[in-house]
Amino acid sequence: MKIIILITLISVSFLQRVDYSRFSHATKKHQAECKTCHTVPTKEWSKTSTHPDIVDYPDHSACVSCHRAQFFKGAQPPICSVCHSKTSPRNEARYAFRNPASPLQFKIEFPHDKHQDVIARLFNTRKPGIDLAHAPAQQQNYNNCTICHAPTEIVDDMHGAVAKVFKGAPTNHDSCFNCHWKSQQPVAGDCNGCHKLAAPYNRAEFPTRISSKFMHEGGGEKSNHVLECTACHINITKSKTLRGLKPDVPITACTECHNKEGLRQDVSKELAGIDKNRAFTCVYCHAPNVGSLDPPASHYLIAERPPLKRKDIK
Amino acid sequence: MKLAITVVVLLLLTLPATSGLTQSPTGVLRIRVRVKADDAAPLRGLARKRFFLIPGTLEQNRALIDAIERQPLVTRDCYYRKLDASQALIDWLKAGDCESVYCREVEQEFVAGPKAVPEFAAAFVKSQTEFGGDATGRKWLTTNLDPNIRDGFYRDRQAVISTLLKQSAFPALSVMTDRNGTAYFTDLGPGTYVLSNVVPTELGQTAVSWNCEVQVKQGDLATEKPYLISNKKDRLVKCVGLEKPIPACN
Repeated sequence: MKIIILITLISVSFLQRVDYSRFSHATKKHQAECKTCHTVPTKEWSKTSTHPDIVDYPDHSACVSCHRAQFFKGAQPPICSVCHSKTSPRNEARYAFRNPASPLQFKIEFPHDKHQDVIARLFNTRKPGIDLAHAPAQQQNYNNCTICHAPTEIVDDMHGAVAKVFKGAPTNHDSCFNCHWKSQQPVAGDCNGCHKLAAPYNRAEFPTRISSKFMHEGGGEKSNHVLECTACHINITKSKTLRGLKPDVPITACTECHNKEGLRQDVSKELAGIDKNRAFTCVYCHAPNVGSLDPPASHYLIAERPPLKRKDIK
Repeated sequence: MKLAITVVVLLLLTLPATSGLTQSPTGVLRIRVRVKADDAAPLRGLARKRFFLIPGTLEQNRALIDAIERQPLVTRDCYYRKLDASQALIDWLKAGDCESVYCREVEQEFVAGPKAVPEFAAAFVKSQTEFGGDATGRKWLTTNLDPNIRDGFYRDRQAVISTLLKQSAFPALSVMTDRNGTAYFTDLGPGTYVLSNVVPTELGQTAVSWNCEVQVKQGDLATEKPYLISNKKDRLVKCVGLEKPIPACN
């Protein structure tokens, strides 16, 4: 009996052992005000950043006040490895802040609708001499979505080439603090205004690509794809939160040019290809993984035809 | 057995009639707003304006519509003149049809030189010192502007809209027009709605209010012609705004 109790106690203490090499904001004692540990901006921010920001981990004092015992445990205390890439008293090397290998612990609360009211217009991206299909003759440098979503270079998954495809998301506070630094709520010190504690997750670097051949900077010689973002992403201006938000581009945004009588018939042509051979892969917009699926009803609607499943084609 | 047959027949009767195309249970309303500042001006898309869709008929929303129509209009010019804002700032906002200083990038020429906006120049000096550089100083100069100059007009307008919409029994949806004056309301339950801009839109010497009843049908994917909105009557225009002269500043 005594042995069983002893084994149980040892097992429980083993299971409850805290892994000090992992830091969690969800730990109750880590949920004090953010400024308890983080200084906004970090001291000497100008050495690594062009703008005031949080660019480094908190000082030792933020940890040692509670974790003195763990701090001085052995030659290589596990707690040091939260921030330091080498756990040695003589080495100050730290991971990049924040460590890209660690899961994210906060989700961002960003109401697109509010921001759309004060920004949202096409930045002047017109090249001299190029006349965009829908652009007014005179444009000014309106603040718009590109403040946060700049074109990002990625390795094209189909061709292996580097391509400027999807618009990136902010990776620092530059585009937030230019308004929210000290007067526009939530201000820089009010971290909870935007950062909401969440279950740890790894952010997908880019959204799932459905029409992977689409290029934001493309659209032929006239760069017809360079439009105001909301011309295609029709639901962004009504979105109060990032939860459930998808890029949301209806097929009609494409077919205004790509399936219009007298212009082009890209959708209709590919649907006709499936009529002839049900194994036909739609390749004009899609990579084979998407192009080999059944076309959605919306595509048939655009082509003014009843929807079909590949299996029903003889 | 009879009961089973009855249940099957009832189930079949409740299924939606399908004529080849699968209908979505929700609908889409595509609006296009085209306006003329005056009779001589060309028709243009009304860009970057927010429109609201309020569930219910005009009659059901009568109290709200009356409140919208009674609401006094404070124009952008009047708001900024009352704050003793510089003419350069008023012109800068007007040039971009901006409700706050956030809507346009503040270029170097508006910080220093003959076209400088005094409010921007003063804020830039403070920002330069605070952030230690010209580029960040200029980009972040709004943080050193007086809050009322910065976005007081926008905040007041939002407060008015929010107070008015609280009178609606159902939450209103809203979208903003793109530069062609087009916007989409999606995932709408079928039924009657009131389409409104809630706060009149300034168009040169007049301000326009739109409050129109629209029907939304299920299954519409916005492939049909848009719902045309204008301040001028035309056979294609489905919602004509009520145009009033811009009030004088108090």
